[in-house]
Amino acid sequence: MKSRFLCLILGPTLSASAWTENFTFEKIPNPTGIDSQVGAMDTLKDGRIAVAFHRGEVMFYDPSSSSWSLFASGLQEPLGMLVDDDGSILVMQRAELTRLRDTDGDGVADEYETVFDDFGMTGNYHEFAYGPARDKEGNLYIVLGIASNGAPMAEEIRGEFSEIGRANREEMTNRATWGKNKGKAGRMYSRAPWRGWVLKLSPDGSKMEPFASGFRSPNGIGFDAEGRLLITDNQGDWRPTSPLYDVKKDRFYGHPASLVWTKDWDGRDPLAIESGELDKMQEPPAGFFPQGELANSPTWPVVVPEGALPESMVGQTLIGEMNQPNLVRVLDDEVDEVYQTALVAMFDGSPLGKGNNRIAFGKDGSIYVGKTHLSWAGETGIMRIKWNGESFPAIEKIKAIPGGFALRFTEEIDPETLSTIAVESNTYKYHKAYGSPKVDLQQMEVRGANLLSDGRTVMLDLGGLKEGYLHAIDMTGVRSADGKPLLGKKAWYQVVKAP
Amino acid sequence: MKFPIALLAATTLAVTAKPDGAQLFTTNCSACHLLDQMVVGPSLVEIRGLYNGKPDDFVKWSVEPQKKRPDAIEMPSMVHVGEEGLRAIYEHVMSISKGAEEQEQQTGDPFADSPVQVKRPQVQRIFMPDSGPAAIAVALDDGLSLCWDAGECRFRYSWNGGFIDGFPYWKGNGSRLAKILGNIRYVEEDSPFPDSGQHKFYGYRMEDGLPIFKYSLGDRKFTEKVLPMENGGGFTRSFTVSPPPSAPLELDFPSDQKVDFSSDKGTWTGSKLKLSPAEAAAFTINISFK
Repeated sequence: MKSRFLCLILGPTLSASAWTENFTFEKIPNPTGIDSQVGAMDTLKDGRIAVAFHRGEVMFYDPSSSSWSLFASGLQEPLGMLVDDDGSILVMQRAELTRLRDTDGDGVADEYETVFDDFGMTGNYHEFAYGPARDKEGNLYIVLGIASNGAPMAEEIRGEFSEIGRANREEMTNRATWGKNKGKAGRMYSRAPWRGWVLKLSPDGSKMEPFASGFRSPNGIGFDAEGRLLITDNQGDWRPTSPLYDVKKDRFYGHPASLVWTKDWDGRDPLAIESGELDKMQEPPAGFFPQGELANSPTWPVVVPEGALPESMVGQTLIGEMNQPNLVRVLDDEVDEVYQTALVAMFDGSPLGKGNNRIAFGKDGSIYVGKTHLSWAGETGIMRIKWNGESFPAIEKIKAIPGGFALRFTEEIDPETLSTIAVESNTYKYHKAYGSPKVDLQQMEVRGANLLSDGRTVMLDLGGLKEGYLHAIDMTGVRSADGKPLLGKKAWYQVVKAP
Repeated sequence: MKFPIALLAATTLAVTAKPDGAQLFTTNCSACHLLDQMVVGPSLVEIRGLYNGKPDDFVKWSVEPQKKRPDAIEMPSMVHVGEEGLRAIYEHVMSISKGAEEQEQQTGDPFADSPVQVKRPQVQRIFMPDSGPAAIAVALDDGLSLCWDAGECRFRYSWNGGFIDGFPYWKGNGSRLAKILGNIRYVEEDSPFPDSGQHKFYGYRMEDGLPIFKYSLGDRKFTEKVLPMENGGGFTRSFTVSPPPSAPLELDFPSDQKVDFSSDKGTWTGSKLKLSPAEAAAFTINISFK
């Protein structure tokens, strides 16, 4: 039935694709009796894949024998994992960052050490916890989701209660009157400490520094190859479409609920502050995933290692996506030291499917994609994707230049097809309502698309770029010199700064 | 770099195409509405049953949705799609749901019998009733279970007759608590230890499948291990305190519970236990159900 659904909904938007010419897609066997929704993944030194499942099992998949072994169990909604050099595993679960350690060498964790739990929980289901990401100095970064007014707080909470907000504590916890009071709570709320914040922890978790605020449902945190801390968030209130952020210390990233925990906060209800004032405070996203076209709920960023994809893509960032049947590849750019990105679909129209929550890489370059749904749209289990080592035509890099973009492709391009490139631009409305339509959607005039002598770089003259606008570059009609369409036909470049 | 003359004769025009219902559906609806089964919102089959032939009602609901289903969240308003777009979505939904049938709803926990779920003893962190949100449920054996609160660093209650049904929590996104299977036999409203201000949880070590909780109260580090008594008659709690207290330690257990207290050390007065500093370094409490 599900395949019929996919076919009906997506059928018309898919065109013939050649992903399967260059990649194999194979569902790996699920462990017996386990709810195979994947919350976290990483790769062990010996090449086995460590996977944390919805009900808190941490299991190892051995690709050489296609078998599973149980390492730990009983965690609560693990949503991030980091395998450490000594073989211990850091796992972020709802209530804490935990280190799992096998001290007697029997292959099973016997030590569940609390590394950090000094943050609040209201008991609301939407307070998911994500991380850790580790910087070069060994510091750990976690990020905490905020609560949803789909449910009230629990009577007992962990941590301080913030009195700031239109609903008082009784109203925030009373299930019987919630239907009446939920509007006062705000669509999403942060009434316990550090919800909506990135926290920086010392390597052993003993010291915490509030790092950045303004997050909503940040189901993705990781460092890219250049050492930038990337965080994705989900479309919703104050999130016109899902954003990608390059997170820096002491900055605010748009969702106001978390502002109450800012040092020396003036006591105002952030949800009552005018959007214009918040807009001046917020950092712009380095990328936007257009809702329904590229991603509705982007997930974890990972860096492409050697052997997983063509050399030109090694070191690029890949991001998962829950609701569209694709991953997303990040094309970096910098203008005056401002990081900004073009985002391109990966494996769209392939057998990949939805629910792509976590990504890990095998020693042989296999890409393991762990799926989940948590009762939203998605799937379960793990897809193993293997590249056949051969080149394929794709966009490799997009550089903003005065007047337009320089597009570099992985292969030589047929110049006769460049006239088909079309570009649209739009911006979004930053407001408390859920999502935003495209605002000021315009077709841009392509004044020129000139192939350079290397045969694979195209100078695209648009007569100028628009700051604060998402530029959708449609390359559906572009063909390689040997006549093949691109894998990843459209790129969405968010111009934060125009050169 | 010199650009050649325009290759494409496109002018700067606002894009005004007739709304594409399928595309709008994918963008705005498909994350929550599947064809033939309820996920976040009702299936298209059910929506067809409600709205077929009533496009105006469909548009009205989409613009001003309300909470109708107790177990579901309220849909965000789709006002941004616009009436024309919503009518296109309506046409699309009615068209693809025609002739489709609702999938049979799965009832009960499909993983209730999995080896991990039925293993005893067992430790499971999950939202529990009558506890703080950082709760830990422990099945000591087939019959006896307990809830320990990592946020408050204290034992909350024990029950016998089974463990938990976590499916209400697991089947969705965590908006329901686990259910206790069996009967509550013993509850502690407060920590039996004197209030020492700060507490901190350090995690637990697994020994023979059971956790030894580690925490500090004030300046002292504690370990606590709970074991079932034979024949389901109650349980024992073994503590270590480091460094041992400098003065006698008085533990205040609840007096209103249907249990008998005893211990390997110290002196009982009713439900209060007094331990000398030396005794307080390591001691075991027996809690037997009456």
